[in-house]
Amino acid sequence: MAALLRSSCWLLRAGAAPRLPLSLRLLTGGPGRPHAASYLPAARAGPVAGGLLSPARLYVIAAEKKDIQEESTFSSRRIASHFDWALMRLDNSVRRTGRIPKMLLQKVFDDTCRSGGPGSSHALLLLRSCGSLLPELKLEERTEFAHRIWDKLQKLGAVYDVSHYNALLKVYLQNEYKFSPTDFLAKMEEANIQPNRVTYQRLIASYCNTGDIEGASKILGFMKTKDLPVTEAVFSALVTGHARAGDMQNAENILTVMREAGIEPGPDTYLALLNAYAEKGDIDHVKQTLEKVEKSELHLMDRDLFQIIFSFSKAGYPQYVSEILEKVTCERRYIPDAMNLILLLVTEKLEDVALQILLACPISKEDGISDFGGFFLRHCVTMNTPVEKLTDYCKKLKEIQMHSFPLQFTLHCALLAKKTDLAKALMKAVKEEGFPIRTHYFWPLLVGHQKEKNVQGIIEVLKVMQELGVPPDQETYIGYVIPCFNSIKSARAILQENGCLSNSDTFSQAELRSEAVNGNLDFVLSFLESNTLPLSLQSIRSSLLLDYICFCLLLLLQCTIFLSYQITELLYKDGRYCQEPPGPTEAVGYFLYNLIDSMSDSEVQAKEERLRQYFHQLKEMNVKIPENICRGIRNLLDSYHVPELIKDAYMLVDSENLDSQKTVQLRSSELESRLETLKAEDKPIRDVLKHLILALCSQENMQKALELKAKYESDMVIGGYAALINLCCRHDNAEDALSLKEEFDRLDSSAVLDTSKYVGLVRVLAKHGRLQDAINILKEMKKKDVPIKDSTVLSFFHILNGAALRGEIETVKQLHEAIVTLGLAKPSTNISFPLITVYLEKDDLSTALDVAIDCCEKYKILPRMHDILCKLIEKGETDLIQKAMDFVSQEQGEMVMLYDLFFAFLQTGNYKEAKKIIETPGIRARSTRLQWFCDKCIANNQVETLEKLVELTQKLFECDRDQMYYNLLKLYKMNGDWQRADAVWNKIQEENIVPREKTLRLLAEILRDGNQEVPFEVPEWYEDEKHSLNSSLDSSSDSTTEPGLQKDILNACQLKQSKGKSIFCSNIFNIRTVVFIISPWCSTIYYHIRSIAETHIKGFTLNDAANSLLIITQVRRDYLKEALTTLKTALDQQQTPSGTAVTRLIQALAMKGDVENIEVVQKMVNGLEDSIGLSKMVFINNTALAQIKNNNIDVAIENIENMLTSENPVIELQYFGLAYLFRKVIEEQLEPAVEKISIMAERLANQFAIYKPVTDFFLQLVDAGKVDDARALLQRCGAIAEQTSILLVFFLRNAGKQGKVLSYWFRTLFENTKDVTSAKALYEHLTAKNTKLDDLFLKRYAFLLKNAGESVPFTEPPESFEFYVQQLKELRENSS
Amino acid sequence: MAASAARGAMALRRNIDRPVAFVRKIPWTAASSQLKEYFAQFGHVKRCIVPFDKGTGFHRGLGWVQFSSEEELQNALQQEYHIIDGVKESLFRDANGRKAAQSQPVRFTPPK
Repeated sequence: MAALLRSSCWLLRAGAAPRLPLSLRLLTGGPGRPHAASYLPAARAGPVAGGLLSPARLYVIAAEKKDIQEESTFSSRRIASHFDWALMRLDNSVRRTGRIPKMLLQKVFDDTCRSGGPGSSHALLLLRSCGSLLPELKLEERTEFAHRIWDKLQKLGAVYDVSHYNALLKVYLQNEYKFSPTDFLAKMEEANIQPNRVTYQRLIASYCNTGDIEGASKILGFMKTKDLPVTEAVFSALVTGHARAGDMQNAENILTVMREAGIEPGPDTYLALLNAYAEKGDIDHVKQTLEKVEKSELHLMDRDLFQIIFSFSKAGYPQYVSEILEKVTCERRYIPDAMNLILLLVTEKLEDVALQILLACPISKEDGISDFGGFFLRHCVTMNTPVEKLTDYCKKLKEIQMHSFPLQFTLHCALLAKKTDLAKALMKAVKEEGFPIRTHYFWPLLVGHQKEKNVQGIIEVLKVMQELGVPPDQETYIGYVIPCFNSIKSARAILQENGCLSNSDTFSQAELRSEAVNGNLDFVLSFLESNTLPLSLQSIRSSLLLDYICFCLLLLLQCTIFLSYQITELLYKDGRYCQEPPGPTEAVGYFLYNLIDSMSDSEVQAKEERLRQYFHQLKEMNVKIPENICRGIRNLLDSYHVPELIKDAYMLVDSENLDSQKTVQLRSSELESRLETLKAEDKPIRDVLKHLILALCSQENMQKALELKAKYESDMVIGGYAALINLCCRHDNAEDALSLKEEFDRLDSSAVLDTSKYVGLVRVLAKHGRLQDAINILKEMKKKDVPIKDSTVLSFFHILNGAALRGEIETVKQLHEAIVTLGLAKPSTNISFPLITVYLEKDDLSTALDVAIDCCEKYKILPRMHDILCKLIEKGETDLIQKAMDFVSQEQGEMVMLYDLFFAFLQTGNYKEAKKIIETPGIRARSTRLQWFCDKCIANNQVETLEKLVELTQKLFECDRDQMYYNLLKLYKMNGDWQRADAVWNKIQEENIVPREKTLRLLAEILRDGNQEVPFEVPEWYEDEKHSLNSSLDSSSDSTTEPGLQKDILNACQLKQSKGKSIFCSNIFNIRTVVFIISPWCSTIYYHIRSIAETHIKGFTLNDAANSLLIITQVRRDYLKEALTTLKTALDQQQTPSGTAVTRLIQALAMKGDVENIEVVQKMVNGLEDSIGLSKMVFINNTALAQIKNNNIDVAIENIENMLTSENPVIELQYFGLAYLFRKVIEEQLEPAVEKISIMAERLANQFAIYKPVTDFFLQLVDAGKVDDARALLQRCGAIAEQTSILLVFFLRNAGKQGKVLSYWFRTLFENTKDVTSAKALYEHLTAKNTKLDDLFLKRYAFLLKNAGESVPFTEPPESFEFYVQQLKELRENSS
Repeated sequence: MAASAARGAMALRRNIDRPVAFVRKIPWTAASSQLKEYFAQFGHVKRCIVPFDKGTGFHRGLGWVQFSSEEELQNALQQEYHIIDGVKESLFRDANGRKAAQSQPVRFTPPK
């Protein structure tokens, strides 16, 4: 690369425009022009020159959870989720504060290293964070950090691509790091990475930062030879370059040159110029330029102004800061940028300027409690700002009410940073302000010393405490002082020596508690018994002390049970310890509960006897515990699997009966007879009647249930009615449901039905036009306060929507009104959706809008605004649009209105208008709304609309760019459009986005599907997932999971589309819907939706794969007729169903004994067998099976025999596999068939020398565990053992599960044939599979090898054959 | 110390009938005695626990206040928010205590 650069120098000499500097000559020269002209100004995301403040949000929310449904390996999944975690943390930080704290970055970095192989996205993410996002670090430290990350991750195996090198360059620029661009290029060349446009742009910027125009020109010349477009970013860099080279004249001239090249200077260029002036302290020119910018209708953001401020202050002209600060708009959204600047200034030791900016921040002081400015104080503490300055800042912050307790906050920071001296000084200041200093303020300091066992440090802190008049209390001693010493005695001695022990009483108390914690029970006991307590009565009573005693008792019970009785008794009896109302029962109860809770289950099991003794002892001592605690103990014991102890524990409770209810469940027939007997005996039948009705309801037997009700009406109870009503609703029987409801009310007017039953009633009544009755039910629901769940609200929606689609305006209106006014559902866009739908369906836009407005006025919601707007725009109803917009902006704010309009314009293809809207100053990203629209576009396959959305939102503030591109890729993926996907990869680079792994994965997948090279490292677990996806497909539909299906269908779609006749993903039926439909759980819905689809979409059909899956689903659900129809339809449409689907269908038919339909299928797929990989054996096997099922065993056998013995066999003999038939016959225990098949197989072997069937049969017997039968067969027909090829295949397939009979096998196989090669193959296969081989097997193998004169590759088992045979036999007997 | 205090808290939490309030967002400047002092305006505070983290010397901003009667607890709960040392804190009845305690029992292994 460097060589290339040199060779291009001659180009530079060629141009001749004498008065302009070198680089400019190039730009004015001919061929460069069209490029420059055609190129739009680059994004303003990254100010190349100064590069100080946070560029547009690099990070974005990653809250979205990964949908990993496939089993992928643990570690790779962890890496993927870890990336999201890291991204989320960093992004949250940037969002909230405009920066990343160093500790956070360090932590994410460490975690990344620890998690093993870091993905390349990880690396990119970390590298990108090392620039201006670390305002709390000095520039050199940041670059050093970046280098550390670079090297470490490379060592750990991260693969870098061009995006990483570009990111590193960006970091260099932002950190003003001096490096050699030539070396950098050489490094890239060495790593075999091609620099791209972004690389060159940034290298130019780096030359310019040092004022090296010569160097910049070289690269520029090279870019020109490569025909790369020159963008605004390059010009901005040149402005900086000339300025830093001291040539302001030429810096200014660049703007003219730009215009000549056809690029209008944008904000970036002006910003570079402004910074250049600021670095020279030229306030006049800065002001002039700012005015010029304003006039040219360009808009400088606060972020840009902050950069100018920084340039001034860093160059030593803080006096001009206030003039720039006046121009700052102080919008709230720039606060993160302001914070960033403040921190940067503090890092640069310019705290006073930082404060000036902080004070100018627009903080709402409405509630007076929200504090601001903490980050500034904290960073000042970190940067060791002198305490005088700090206290001064605190005062100021408090005065203007920016922070309510700045001093305390600063103290907190000092304590966290363990800065003892600063903390001391701050505490004094706090005290002077009149606030108390509390003991626990010192604990963090003590903790620091305690960790290092720094006695001197502890003593110092204690002295400070004394000095400030805060004597240490018990907690201080126990928690933070005593642990630092070897013993309490030495602590006492040393403290006394140093004069730190002013209050000896406190220390004594601490001593006691400390001893208790250490389990020194003797000490505690003697202390409790002694009457001269060194403690006040108050502190003994303190339950905290009781806790301590309990705590040591737990310890004690582990060793000596004796003492614990004593202490438990003491606790229980000695009034001194339990004077408070709950009394001793509770204290001991808690004690016991905690005791058991604190032991692990194995401990409890081990000490079961001991605990039992203990309980009995307590019982003898007449100790009682409350019942509820005992229940807790019971739960614990239960969970520890020692239920035997429960009764012992229950002894301690006052006897109380447990209510045990028995519920008897009987079948309906039994119930019926019972009912009759009872009736005959004239006994009460209510209960049985109810059960019977419930049983009938669950059997969906409405007729009978109603009859029964009519017969025994007088004995009906509430429960029976409820079930009946529900049953009638399910059966769409409004009449009966209503009359039942009336009877129900008559029976007990206060009785309440389940929510779902009420909803069912409402649905069925509304459907049958009994509006008033439905409303009455709703009213009753309200009156009886029926619980409303989310699902209830959803049901309401469906009821309303159904009515809306039927066009029943009145029904929708009144029901909605009733539901909402009764408060059964809160007014929401969802519930009100049908109100609009009903008019939109009728194309009555004006009323639709009115209704929407009405909704808003009544309920503060605007349902279906988007749809209304789109229709209005399409029809050009300007007045109505105006009306709608006025209304929205008045009700929901301008932002919502803008988004509504933006989406509506996009949707209707009015992109120019959409652009104007989204460029409105002050508009910011609303991720949920954007995502909503993206989803909509993807669902409807609107490529152009989505592309426009992504393009137009590029400069949108806080827009999650990665997510936008991800959505776009999703759509490309659906359409298999790799060319557009490739363009996205370049755009991502230029926009400086860290793509998430899912984005990269998706991109790679699209490129691969299009047979393209992937220009970056694909995050690893993709491979696993892909593998498992494939395998799940291979293993056919048994384990078909949703992703598998989705993938399959996607592939199928693309296949179809390439043939140019896909209507599969037309309009409303997107992939996801279809996957949902075909997934095995909802094939009934499938019919419904398909019928809609067929009526609404011209020529709607499912494609091959979808049809195949449908067949499999139908077979599984036993809809064989439908499956046959589906197959027929598919074949009629010239589709190719999958082999699996056809096989499944045939097998199912065979199990039903349906010979005819098997033939039908055979005819249908005739000629297709090879293309779908269907063996003829499938038909032979299954036809035979079907015949056997129909008890035509002889016919089946005769057919097979004929086929095998005929002179022109349909299938070659070695492929004539009957294993499936044999297995099924054995599995289904069709004994007569088994017998006849056995005879047939033997006959074939003995008379015709056809050994395949008998061997297959033999193997199936073994496989089914019928070893005896197999052995007998083997004895009758020894030739089986010679079929080594068949046997070996079987072994290899079944090696895993057949370990038990392996040795037996081995003998039959190898002793008869002495086939060493096969034996070796088998052995290797088994060891490769890690199958555990028994000694007998090894012995035999060794024997075989030795006989063949070969060496034995393992230690031969020493004992005799008989020994191992015996051993195995015993083993088998024991295990069975 | 911290462990035991937490145990105490557990004991409080388990007893659903006791008038215990769970306090969040306690400022670092306040410890149990400040909490006790503050809540005394609503009634007699029997116990007040703010567990400290022994590793840092700070508490985690959570605590429990046990009143002697339900009425007093209700007094405290009526106030929308409480301000201790200038920090708004959330206070609510520890009604979820039972469920939380049973589904995820906090276990202590006694120091050896």
